[in-house]
Amino acid sequence: MQQRRELDQVYTNRKLLNGQLDTPKWWLPTVSILGVVILIGVVVIATMINKGLGLTGLARPVYWGLFITTFVFWVGISHAGIMISAILRLTQAEWRRPVTRAAELLTVFSLLTALVFPLIHAGRPWRIAYWIMPYDISRGIYPNIRSPLIMDPVAISTYLTGSTLFLYIALLPDLGNLRDRTTGWKNAMYTVLSLGWRGNPRQWKMQTVGGILLSALMLPIFVSVHSIVSWDFAVAAAVEGWHSTIFAPYFVIGAVHSGVSAVVTMMALMRWLWKWDDFIRPEHFDALARLLIVVATGWLAFTFLELTFALYGQDAPEIALREMQMFQWPWNALFIIFFLTAYAIPVPMWLFKRVRTNIALMFWTSILVNIGMWLERFLIIVPGLARRTPFVYTWEAYTPSAVEWVIFIWSFAWVTFLMLLFSKFFPLVPLFEQKESQVFTEDVMIGRAKIPAIVREAD
Amino acid sequence: MGSQAVAHEVEHHAPPPNVDADQVTRELIATTTGASGRFKAWTWGLGILSVVGIVALVLKFIDQGDDSTKWGYVAALVSFLLSVTGGAPMVAMAPVMAKANWVRPITRIAALFSFAGVATVIMLIPLVAILPPLVTEGARRRTVWYMAPDYSPHFWTTLSLVLLLITGIALFYSAALPDFASMRDHSTGWRQRLGKRLARGWVGTDVQWRTLRMRIGMFGSFYFLILVFVNFLVSTDFGQSMVPGWRDAIFPMYHTVSGFQAGVAGVVIALYFSRKYMKLEKYIHLDAFWSLGRLLFALTLLWIYFFYSSFIVFWYGRSENDIATLDLMIKGPMIYAFFAGMILLWFVPWWILIWNKVRRGTAMMVVGSFVILIGLLIDRIRTFVPAWSVPGDQIHQKWLKVIPETVWPDIFDILIMAGGISLVAFIVMMMTRVIPVLSVWQVQEFNLLAKPIRYIKGHATLVAKPD
Repeated sequence: MQQRRELDQVYTNRKLLNGQLDTPKWWLPTVSILGVVILIGVVVIATMINKGLGLTGLARPVYWGLFITTFVFWVGISHAGIMISAILRLTQAEWRRPVTRAAELLTVFSLLTALVFPLIHAGRPWRIAYWIMPYDISRGIYPNIRSPLIMDPVAISTYLTGSTLFLYIALLPDLGNLRDRTTGWKNAMYTVLSLGWRGNPRQWKMQTVGGILLSALMLPIFVSVHSIVSWDFAVAAAVEGWHSTIFAPYFVIGAVHSGVSAVVTMMALMRWLWKWDDFIRPEHFDALARLLIVVATGWLAFTFLELTFALYGQDAPEIALREMQMFQWPWNALFIIFFLTAYAIPVPMWLFKRVRTNIALMFWTSILVNIGMWLERFLIIVPGLARRTPFVYTWEAYTPSAVEWVIFIWSFAWVTFLMLLFSKFFPLVPLFEQKESQVFTEDVMIGRAKIPAIVREAD
Repeated sequence: MGSQAVAHEVEHHAPPPNVDADQVTRELIATTTGASGRFKAWTWGLGILSVVGIVALVLKFIDQGDDSTKWGYVAALVSFLLSVTGGAPMVAMAPVMAKANWVRPITRIAALFSFAGVATVIMLIPLVAILPPLVTEGARRRTVWYMAPDYSPHFWTTLSLVLLLITGIALFYSAALPDFASMRDHSTGWRQRLGKRLARGWVGTDVQWRTLRMRIGMFGSFYFLILVFVNFLVSTDFGQSMVPGWRDAIFPMYHTVSGFQAGVAGVVIALYFSRKYMKLEKYIHLDAFWSLGRLLFALTLLWIYFFYSSFIVFWYGRSENDIATLDLMIKGPMIYAFFAGMILLWFVPWWILIWNKVRRGTAMMVVGSFVILIGLLIDRIRTFVPAWSVPGDQIHQKWLKVIPETVWPDIFDILIMAGGISLVAFIVMMMTRVIPVLSVWQVQEFNLLAKPIRYIKGHATLVAKPD
């Protein structure tokens, strides 16, 4: 439960707008370094588009490697926003308040990044135009619209649009606040963006209703996005290990596990970098860790079912694949690291309150989870394609090339860069949510104990 | 007072004012005595139906005990009863762990369903005897038991179901200790003697309260784990492994989730009748229906999501076993059950529960819950009856080559199903004579932690959330 802390509005404004009204010393050097990494990444991407996919380690029979793994990973991270913002808003979880903005941002930026990977993986990205402009369905040039590969960009674009709207609507009161505290071009920018926000009762009502409606509307999209990504694999009966009915919920719960962990990482960084100790407090990490224990254990149950039913059929190729995944070098090492980092190390640690309220430990365990979750996607995608099967005449082992690794690193730099850029102009912790939490919480005396309490509206 | 509370809620959308602790004890203890004529008539009727059902089960075993293809409806009933009686106690646990205050008054009613698990065990006994061993005629069928001994499913399913029953009762008992003490102090006759015996010296010291909460948490977590495990075993051993080629990794989760859906629906129905006929309006607030309605709505959506996740993979897969599975479960002998289940388990409840106004009321909530239970029974028939209709000499094949004809229920099946469902209702009703249908101490704690307040121009509740 969130402990009540009395914070006046002037202090809240000053502290939470410290990124916009002042520039922290570390900001410019960090952004510059990230900018250099991004530049290198862009050059590498351009070179790869110019020279072709031969620069990657992809070759028969492994057509999907690091790029698609990273695509699935970033789509997974994007589940943070709706999980934290929409679901916790609908369930009226009070502790969500300082976390919502960062989670929504992570959704938008990780989706933007995820979209890049299938695009560059297409080899000749300009051909995507055929997908957008139907050339001629009858000649079979236009792609099969029933395929998950087509449903995928549609779902992701819808999710991106919805998430951006969601982020923007929640940003309106804070934009009004910034408009009133800035001058010059910044004032002009905030004036346009705040859409005439004055904070009158009607505007608040519309903003609240909009948020709730969008939360409810975004939920099915949230579920559909990763489900459709999973069907890219699951409907392909030809690849061993992919054709499983559990893939959709398994991917979704894995995405929530990895997304919420990414939010924990972000929260710790925000607390350290902007010194928001009064706003992002140990009890928020405690609540997130409790949520993560439940999600991670659910995910483990799905992992268990996935493995159990892979062997259930007792088909020789499937058993051979699982043997390769778990017992053959280097897959076995990756499998062990995956299991240790995604569940076996962090979850038992989170069982202790001392760990849950220790921000450094939460930071590192959340990073471990995402290492594990990236490996999970890699182990799902690559071994199924890489296993030596009859009638395949090239048996090259897949090793990601330097080009792939640079683009992989670029994606992390890109998301961080976008976040930092955003933080220069917009508050990362919603001011209005913070102030609302002050109004909606109280302390009550029950016997001799002082208990934090929440106001729940009756209608 | 009851009607005043309702009028208060309807007019102001606000929870009624809290009731004095002594009055809570007096009034709730009094609900165990003085059953109405209607209550007695229903109990007798359900009791007779239960006995008829058990007799029919024995007769069916004597008559058809050597033909597994005739036992699909009993398998469907076991699965259905497990869903309702196993899922309902989770309502007493899951929201408590999430510190949801609204659930406190209704935890008892949910926990009472644990006792009704006896009905599931009774119905399972002949089914275990008829379930084919893993190896017959030298061939091993596909199961999650791989190379385990031949009678592993028989042993472990029975053991886990009995363990679930015991854990459910332990969960109920550990949460009921303070109420047994209240019965000891405020009841008379056999109820007082029972309270004295079962309260085990409860006087409400700090240590006793701490132990009580620890036990609830421990048994609750353990119950949840066993429940998932039992669902896993029943859905695979008594369903999936009976059909050659049916490999559906999501089916155990589908079975579990629809079990939770049925459990919540069962609790809503029990809550509605308790509220209405025991005059408990001032203790069972509309807020409980509202929250259960949202939970039920979410579970209804989850059901269709799990169903579709499975369906689309079979549909696109187009392998021979994918096609056979679809033919058997959806397009073939069970097509009408498929459509009926889809409409009753998803479409109708979705359309009813989507409305906030409905969730804030009781009448349509109970209609929605009944629809869900009927839909679930049909859905269980859709999955288990065709699975058991596969002849014993074909279950070792790689995939199903001949789709069996539709199996219709015989008179035994109808009586057994009516009897099994009646037995659940009978047990729950009888238990309300033994212990208050609402937990006295939970209602008192609810009153202590939630206080109706005026907030700006409206009504609100101030909810304290202790660690």
